[in-house]
Amino acid sequence: MALDLGMPILVVDDYQTMVRIIRNLLKQLGFEEVDDASDGTAALARLKNRKYGLVISDWNMEPMTGYELLRHVRADEALRTTPFIMVTAESKTENVIAAKKAGVNNYIVKPFNAATLKSKIEAVCGA
Amino acid sequence: MALAKQARNVNPAPDKPSLIRELVEIADYIAHLRNEIAALRANELTRDRLPMAHEELGSVVAATAGATNSIMNTAEEILGLPNDKNYRATVEARMNDIFEACTFQDITGQRIAKVVEALRQLESRLSRFASAVKAKDEGGIDPEEVERRVRKELLILNGPQLHGPAVAQDEIDALFA
Repeated sequence: MALDLGMPILVVDDYQTMVRIIRNLLKQLGFEEVDDASDGTAALARLKNRKYGLVISDWNMEPMTGYELLRHVRADEALRTTPFIMVTAESKTENVIAAKKAGVNNYIVKPFNAATLKSKIEAVCGA
Repeated sequence: MALAKQARNVNPAPDKPSLIRELVEIADYIAHLRNEIAALRANELTRDRLPMAHEELGSVVAATAGATNSIMNTAEEILGLPNDKNYRATVEARMNDIFEACTFQDITGQRIAKVVEALRQLESRLSRFASAVKAKDEGGIDPEEVERRVRKELLILNGPQLHGPAVAQDEIDALFA
């Protein structure tokens, strides 16, 4: 199954530079429909208003972290199947396992490149 | 100091030597404490060094943000260039903009070095003071602070690890295989 380059993607990060980097990487990969949110709360509001094909979220944000956002998404009947990739500078094994248990589809450690992002999107969204 | 000297000059009554001795010890301790407090140079710290550290770190944040924006603007410009005969010349010119933006590192390095020196001074003076007055921490940690720390630890809000990722991407990938 080829990647749907038209699917809307939600990038969640409180660091605008990171949002911009991910946007540019996604653009290079051919994705044009990219929205962003600065934390989990803002992301949830966006998720209620638009159906996204993928969420790419940072973990370290306040007031709602990426992990908390993931749990909200997985607990919501309408959102629970939304593919979710966690992106973080922190990668202790127990955190990765906690995210996996909470239903994350993949996990990327910062810093990363376009190839890594592409391979994770393909693994999650099917290629 | 004056109190300690006066106390020493008093000719102790035969029945009260220990009381006088204790007063002398207290006076000596107070004089010692005053010297140590003066050595802290707290006014200099709060008037000069700490505001300087705030200012320098603020400048570092501004400089790194400015450089990052400049580099990203240039990169986005390059990505949007038409593939025509001017392409190479335009890319080379934009590359020089990126090199120029990277000079922030030298300046921020110097600013951070000043902050590190201020912190070293503060640590050294506090350490000397704590040792001189045999200070002991008491009262435990503020419950709100404990809660904040637990949240940060649990939700990994402590920021990136000091020496790169604890687990490499390959090992993480294995967990998702």
